[in-house]
Amino acid sequence: MHPSAIYAATVDSHTFATFRALVEAIIPDSPVSATYSPELTAGAADLCIHEYMIWELDHSLSLVLGFGLTDIPLSCSTAGLLNVGAVHLAASRQLQHPPNPLLWESGPFSAMSRNDRISVLAMLEQGNIDPGVLPPPYRNDLGFTRYMIDFLNRQTMFGNYSEWSAYGTTRLRTPTERRLEYFPVSWKQAEYPGVVPGYRALLGYMLTIERKGGESTIV
Amino acid sequence: MYDADAMFDADVIVIGSGGGGAVAAKELGEAGLKVLVLEAGPWYGNKQWANPNSERGGEWSSDYKDLDVGIYKKIFNAYENNMNDLVSGVFRFGPADRRRTPWHRVMRQKGEIWQLSGVGGTTQLYWSQSPRAFPLAVDNIWPISYRELVPYYEKAEATLPVQFAPTTPKEELFYYGAKKAGWPLIPTLNVTTPGYRPNPNAILPTNEHLMDQSYSLEQLSNMEGCTLKGNCVNGCTTGSSVDKIAKRSTLVSYVPLALKTGNVAIRPNSFVIKLLTAQDPKEGLRATGVQFRDTWTGEIGELTARTVVMAAGCIESPRLWLNSGLPYNEWVGRGLTNHCFDWVAGVFDEKDLMSIMGLPAVYPYVGHTSGARVDIPGTGIFQVSCLSPGLMSFLTYGFSEAGYDALNPPEPGAPWDIHGRVVGPQLKELMMNYSRTMSILILTDDETLYRNRVQIDPLLKDENGPIPIMHYTPSPKTLKRRDQLARYASETLKQAGARKIIRSDTPFGSMIHLESTMRMGYVTDTNCEAYQVRRLFIADNSVHFNGIGGPNPTLTTQALATRTAEKIVTKYFS
Ligand SMILES: Cc1cc2nc3c(=O)[nH]c(=O)nc-3n(C[C@H](O)[C@H](O)[C@H](O)COP(=O)(O)OP(=O)(O)OC[C@H]3O[C@@H](n4cnc5c(N)ncnc54)[C@H](O)[C@@H]3O)c2cc1C
Ligand code: SF4
Repeated sequence: MHPSAIYAATVDSHTFATFRALVEAIIPDSPVSATYSPELTAGAADLCIHEYMIWELDHSLSLVLGFGLTDIPLSCSTAGLLNVGAVHLAASRQLQHPPNPLLWESGPFSAMSRNDRISVLAMLEQGNIDPGVLPPPYRNDLGFTRYMIDFLNRQTMFGNYSEWSAYGTTRLRTPTERRLEYFPVSWKQAEYPGVVPGYRALLGYMLTIERKGGESTIV
Repeated sequence: MYDADAMFDADVIVIGSGGGGAVAAKELGEAGLKVLVLEAGPWYGNKQWANPNSERGGEWSSDYKDLDVGIYKKIFNAYENNMNDLVSGVFRFGPADRRRTPWHRVMRQKGEIWQLSGVGGTTQLYWSQSPRAFPLAVDNIWPISYRELVPYYEKAEATLPVQFAPTTPKEELFYYGAKKAGWPLIPTLNVTTPGYRPNPNAILPTNEHLMDQSYSLEQLSNMEGCTLKGNCVNGCTTGSSVDKIAKRSTLVSYVPLALKTGNVAIRPNSFVIKLLTAQDPKEGLRATGVQFRDTWTGEIGELTARTVVMAAGCIESPRLWLNSGLPYNEWVGRGLTNHCFDWVAGVFDEKDLMSIMGLPAVYPYVGHTSGARVDIPGTGIFQVSCLSPGLMSFLTYGFSEAGYDALNPPEPGAPWDIHGRVVGPQLKELMMNYSRTMSILILTDDETLYRNRVQIDPLLKDENGPIPIMHYTPSPKTLKRRDQLARYASETLKQAGARKIIRSDTPFGSMIHLESTMRMGYVTDTNCEAYQVRRLFIADNSVHFNGIGGPNPTLTTQALATRTAEKIVTKYFS
């Protein structure tokens, strides 16, 4: 197995499915142009952005606990947060669509429609839930919960629209060992030409500073 | 215990080599003092550290000849995820070893603190806008006058150097909209009336051969002068040597100049965890040195000096004060301002752009990351600012105090069509229009409040000690100004022809311009020397009295650091 497969194999399947459902709701595989092409349709789940998010959350925090510095992975507890939120939203009868009953037991968040998943995020962001029922480290900390919901949204977008997916088989390696394997699909969707050495796009200067003897004038 | 005539390791120790620290080091070195700089993060572009993110490498560098543009360009590859991932990027606030996690700050609100460790500090990714403060925000408010700052502004501007930004399509469109919206051109560096102007940027003038097809772009990128590569935020790589890189982070401007003095040695990967002090019979409590931790080995070292300059940034400078058990001062860590930034974008139609500019797109990825602005003393600034798609998507659509647009659409009559986060098919459609989208950064004249602060967590620690907790909520006055600026920016976009306007309503906890957590007049005197600890000076954004009215803060820090170096020499070394 290459290192990314090893890393992915260590993540439990609930966490994996929950993050897949998250990124799919934020960036779905809807077409972006009239002419259908699988590349232009690809959404965040197709680009494995759920794996990116899991990697990021598991590599973002360490604190001194007891005697030494300890890494604190956050993906599993964050998936738990989303699933607790899903159950709460369903219990308060605020769902727009019935969840998939086959998936409900194993992962309520991924059993929901995409719009309802966004409603779960909004509910947690607004703190419309008893903070005592949230899993640690979110328990009784609606501030950190708000921070995290915001992070989940923006980091999914950053992961998706940056070059990360094009690291291909090396995408979950230590960052210094990732290698670009192709041109990022999302950059095609955005019509971004990628990294180039420069653009011959000079249209002139509106003003210029001239310096003489420690003083400057503007021309 | 303390011997005034003891041998010191140096005349001055500087803590942090970012926007302010590098300037202090160069100026003090030039004055002939022996300077040691301790920097928590890595050094990119130095032969002593060929693989700075995976191997410990050397300890010190004090030789200009150590600089190596090949190593620099290999690391600064301009890919946005590699460069700017907050968790594990080349640019982050964390140890050099990218296998390790970043250093944590406690945030109980939405947003992100965008600061970097490493030689050059946060200027490695800054966009290099280098405006002066608004005189209105300094005169009769700061303990020193604007006039007092001007000669130091002149010196820092000439050293970086600062020049007005060139026009590329996005600036042309911005000027077109700003003029139609009624703003006059203000051809000045001392802004006292509202109007538009190109940004004064710390970027070398555009390569004179850029438009000459006989030079390949590859060739041009290894010569002196900006190539309008549009990647300032992801680390500029255009230039023939480290000290000729187009965008003038202190890593490529002041640091090479500091090394050239022959009096400055810099030690990266060294996190200062304690300020050392002693009672002097004449001076009272004074700084005598620092204790630091090697971020690779965990070993603790100590160095002593006649004076210490703290330039660890707006969070770490107060943290260091508090973790060192220095005398209580109710303003340490207090009065945080951050320009309460916001972000407004406009999506254009191809045919409108054709008729206005004769071009089919805005080309947000071309030219300086930000090249033009409207300044409004008393209110703030809005400046055209365009980024690579990953960064642009999250700043425009991913990030909001207002929540999701679809669940909470704009109030009727608002000048924007979208207010808050966008997700789902609508997001993909908007991102398909990325190349026809112009975005604008809003910087607010932010009221300084005691409640906005950096504190130390009573329980949580990392390897460098108790960690910072951040708290920031803007005042009603700040929010009113910010809203006004978002309206002005929307108007300029509309006048320029935008068909759809998006207001992010950026989370208040998103911080790029942190200032004023160790304020002059409260924590330091007008020389930037701490009232309660002699020979301890402050030379980063934290010593600002306020948010300088909204202009991007670094040039003011650099002017002040230049002045502080002069004061140190006069007071303790002449
Ligand atoms: C995206 C972005 C764009 C920006 N664009 C602009 C712009 O265009 N114009 C502008 O004026 N400003 C801009 N800024 C802000 C600018 O980067 C800061 O104003 C500037 O870097 C502040 O300088 P400083 O010295 O206070 O802190 P920093 O530059 O952050 O330097 C602090 C240094 O101290 C080191 N350090 C911290 N703690 C310790 C310790 N305990 N021991 C040793 N070393 C330590 C850090 O590693 C760091 O290198 C931008 C910021 C961001 C995030
Ligand atoms: S536009 Fe920015 S990144 Fe590009 S060459 Fe100029 S300074 Fe460097």
